[in-house]
Amino acid sequence: MRSTLGRLTVMAALLMVVVAVPAALGQVPTIKIGFFAPLTGPAAPDGTSSRNGAQMAVDEINAAGGVLGRPLGLVVYDDRLSASEAVAIAHRLIERDRVVAVVAGSYSGPTRATAPIFQSAGIPTVAAYAVHPDITKAGDYVFRNSFLGTIQGKAGAYLAARILNAKTASILVMDIDFGRALASGFRTQAAAYGLRIVSEDTYPLGEKEFAPLLTKIKGLNPDVIYATAYFAEAAQIVRQAKALGITSRIIGQEGYDSPKFLELAGPAAEGVIITTNLNRDDTRPVAQQFLGRYKARFGIDADMVGASSYDAVRIIAAAIEKAGVVSPPRIRDQIYRIANFDGVTGIIRGYNKLGEVLKTVQVQIVREGRFRYFAVIDDPAVITPPTE
Amino acid sequence: MIGFWQQLINGVTVGSTYALIALGLAMVYGVLRILHIAHAGVFTLGAYVGLVLHARTASLPTAFLGAMLACGVAGVLIQRWLYRPLLNQPRIVPLIASIGLFIFMEDLFRLLAGPYVLAFRLDAEVRPLEIAGAAVTGVQVMTLIVTAVLLGAVWLLVGKTWLGLGWRAAAQDLGMAAAVGVNAHRVVALNFAFGSAVAGAAGVLIGALYNAVYPTMGSVPAYKALAVIVLGGLGNVWGTVVAGVLLGLVETFLVGIVGGLLPRDSIAFVALILMLLFRPTGLFGER
Amino acid sequence: MPEVGLYYYTLGITVGIWMILVMGQNIITGYAGQISLGHAAFFGVGAYASAVLSTTYGVVFWLALPASVLITAVVGALLGSVSLRLRHDFLAITTIGINFVVVSVFLYSEYFGGSLGIGGIPLPRAMGVVFTKPLYLGLVVAALGLAAAADRLLKRSWLGLSLEAIREEETAAAASGLNVSALKITAFAVGTGYAGLAGSLYAHFMTFISPHDFAFPVSITILCMAVLGGLGTLRGALVGALLLGLAPELFRFLRDYRMLTYGALLVLLMRYLPSGLLGDASPLWQRLITRPRGVRGGVAYGGAVDPPGL
Repeated sequence: MRSTLGRLTVMAALLMVVVAVPAALGQVPTIKIGFFAPLTGPAAPDGTSSRNGAQMAVDEINAAGGVLGRPLGLVVYDDRLSASEAVAIAHRLIERDRVVAVVAGSYSGPTRATAPIFQSAGIPTVAAYAVHPDITKAGDYVFRNSFLGTIQGKAGAYLAARILNAKTASILVMDIDFGRALASGFRTQAAAYGLRIVSEDTYPLGEKEFAPLLTKIKGLNPDVIYATAYFAEAAQIVRQAKALGITSRIIGQEGYDSPKFLELAGPAAEGVIITTNLNRDDTRPVAQQFLGRYKARFGIDADMVGASSYDAVRIIAAAIEKAGVVSPPRIRDQIYRIANFDGVTGIIRGYNKLGEVLKTVQVQIVREGRFRYFAVIDDPAVITPPTE
Repeated sequence: MIGFWQQLINGVTVGSTYALIALGLAMVYGVLRILHIAHAGVFTLGAYVGLVLHARTASLPTAFLGAMLACGVAGVLIQRWLYRPLLNQPRIVPLIASIGLFIFMEDLFRLLAGPYVLAFRLDAEVRPLEIAGAAVTGVQVMTLIVTAVLLGAVWLLVGKTWLGLGWRAAAQDLGMAAAVGVNAHRVVALNFAFGSAVAGAAGVLIGALYNAVYPTMGSVPAYKALAVIVLGGLGNVWGTVVAGVLLGLVETFLVGIVGGLLPRDSIAFVALILMLLFRPTGLFGER
Repeated sequence: MPEVGLYYYTLGITVGIWMILVMGQNIITGYAGQISLGHAAFFGVGAYASAVLSTTYGVVFWLALPASVLITAVVGALLGSVSLRLRHDFLAITTIGINFVVVSVFLYSEYFGGSLGIGGIPLPRAMGVVFTKPLYLGLVVAALGLAAAADRLLKRSWLGLSLEAIREEETAAAASGLNVSALKITAFAVGTGYAGLAGSLYAHFMTFISPHDFAFPVSITILCMAVLGGLGTLRGALVGALLLGLAPELFRFLRDYRMLTYGALLVLLMRYLPSGLLGDASPLWQRLITRPRGVRGGVAYGGAVDPPGL
């Protein structure tokens, strides 16, 4: 009895310290921005990059004096890639942490589950890299800072048919919403350009063994292989294609956009071309400073996920600054008014009424183990996001 | 028919890695009747140890032996501390303990080594081959050789030594084996050590084969190896090896010919369910 | 505007759904002794049945819910009849397989929305009232009450007793004239029916579902909840679901060490308290039920009263 009570007392005291100390430290009230991402489990690499990018933006803004004279605070949660856990997190961010805006650093499942909750609570939310089309359809408080899968798919077809003059293509579809959306965009636009699709195969997320599919594609010998993938799958695809002696050009997307892709694929990555929204050869200071500081701080090259999360925080901060008050509806209004924002992920021309971003698509090629500038796509037929 | 030979080699390579992972699991199941999920955590440990040793010493044999040693020790520790006290509990107790240990190990690797995939590139050290027009990478060749060596070693150990005799006695009846003078605890511990060491070697091979070592790399093998040991007849070591290689071939040819009707990783379970409907004791019977 | 307390309602609903799931697992594994590692598959069958019925066919929630319970129970009974052929460990591994195959079917068929999942699942309505969070919690609590009552009934009836006989000694139960097969199938049907109920409630609460929500790790969580609380008891199922259901929230302060702690907790618990927190054989439970009533009033036996504040 005695010891149980004693232990309970100690625990209660500890809990009070945990709760009370941060409260006492904050002198000027911070402006809280919510953040959630998968920080553990199989999606931990992307979640970690996303948090790194967002945290770096917050720290830099605070070092420069904060927003409206107040520091920003990032309230970070791990959603473990679970939609139901993300729902609890969303309510927690709204009701207990009382955040004024949110950066969603997670995949489509958790982001889509939480979008209607932030919408009905009136908290402006920017999805850093989730691709599901329903996310922005939740309402006028939800924005997306990355391309819709279909737009990037169209850009891939433009790259293949218009820039590389390919006549035939094989498609590899990663069976999640991202891969499906990319493939459908590619298919639509390929038809418009007369690019013939000779095969289309589906594989599950996390697949490591592509030799069976690639052996089949080798026999068809298409001009390009449009392989939808995240970096881990992408590295396997290009390595195994090289090992099988496949000479077709491999076209990827922002999922490849990670230093880990280059490291894992090694020499096999040479000549792979991707569509993304981060241009490593971007000469604008904002981009070069970001790339340098990220590497210095986290010891790894920045990827598109980190860059997009960094931009998402900065866009929210800029909107708060412009609004002049910390009021969620006013922040939302200012996000809609953003024009030609100097982002790491390119010049953000603005957001349409659905909350979809309008910016040019960057095309990067792997040369000597690095992503380099190859082309930029600004054909409105490709990059204009849908409005409904 | 370039495609055929290519797919055959692809399938055998993948299949032999399944066989190696499942082999250790089958050995453990054979003597203790425990579904040792944390075996996949031991496998991941092997990949990390191999990676670190290879980076430090640039020697492939050191990487393999070090990984096998580390995993062997880990296996014995798990058996001693976790499973031995739970042998008289209902079977679900060691099962949940094993799942908990696997979750713990996966997250420990993430905390120690970071969430990112680490590269384990051996392409430069082993030369590729070409057989009947099919490309075989150096790492594939290495996988086939190491698998053959390890299977040979298991065959010698189980078939030709007193240790194998003890194992077989223990697999029949642990209590009985003790009664006729077999040191049951030592036999079980050696069994764990050997099965875990083989898993460690498999970790190094798969890490190199896919040039990727990461905290959750054991998740898929964790359950696929279970399917393989059932297909092989629970506890039947040689049945397991054959089932592993067959599964690799079936997966490869199904995906290569029919395309992705189902995720490749669920083929094992479709096969499993079909088999259980017709041959409820496994392809080669239970021991 | 954000209403204060939606966070707690959400937690309540989530825990309630876990509780129903774990009760079902407990009927199959605790009462009938059949190790199932695929409970999330049936959770998914219930959720997808309810989602498809209400979005594709426009069936109202109040019909979709019982229909999905029924559909899931039928699928569960089918599994039950297959399971009769399998021994313990074969069954455990087969149920893992069933989980993977079911998720693959959701993932690879357009009918179930493929990898995009199914969205736009309507909230329940009755007499013009939409069941938003506070009301939905009421609905979950009502379902929970019904499920618990059914569990008691099952346990007290001849079915409960004979199911325990199966768990203890299969051949003896068969010899004593119990129809073991029928009982096992019933246990599977009822237990998976619970999962169907939870699935339907989950689908209409989340309003969108995707295959990933019902993957194998969810099955592991459900089984762990049942074992942690104490297998074979209703109180264990409820307490296990409560503790592990709240664990993501309770352990938040551990931040990066949350999953590590979770894994370690399972290992230590099985190692030192293998019958769960409140299982019949658990020392903790033994203590709780044998302690004199007086303690609760603050007077401990032996006359020693704890000094206040310690």
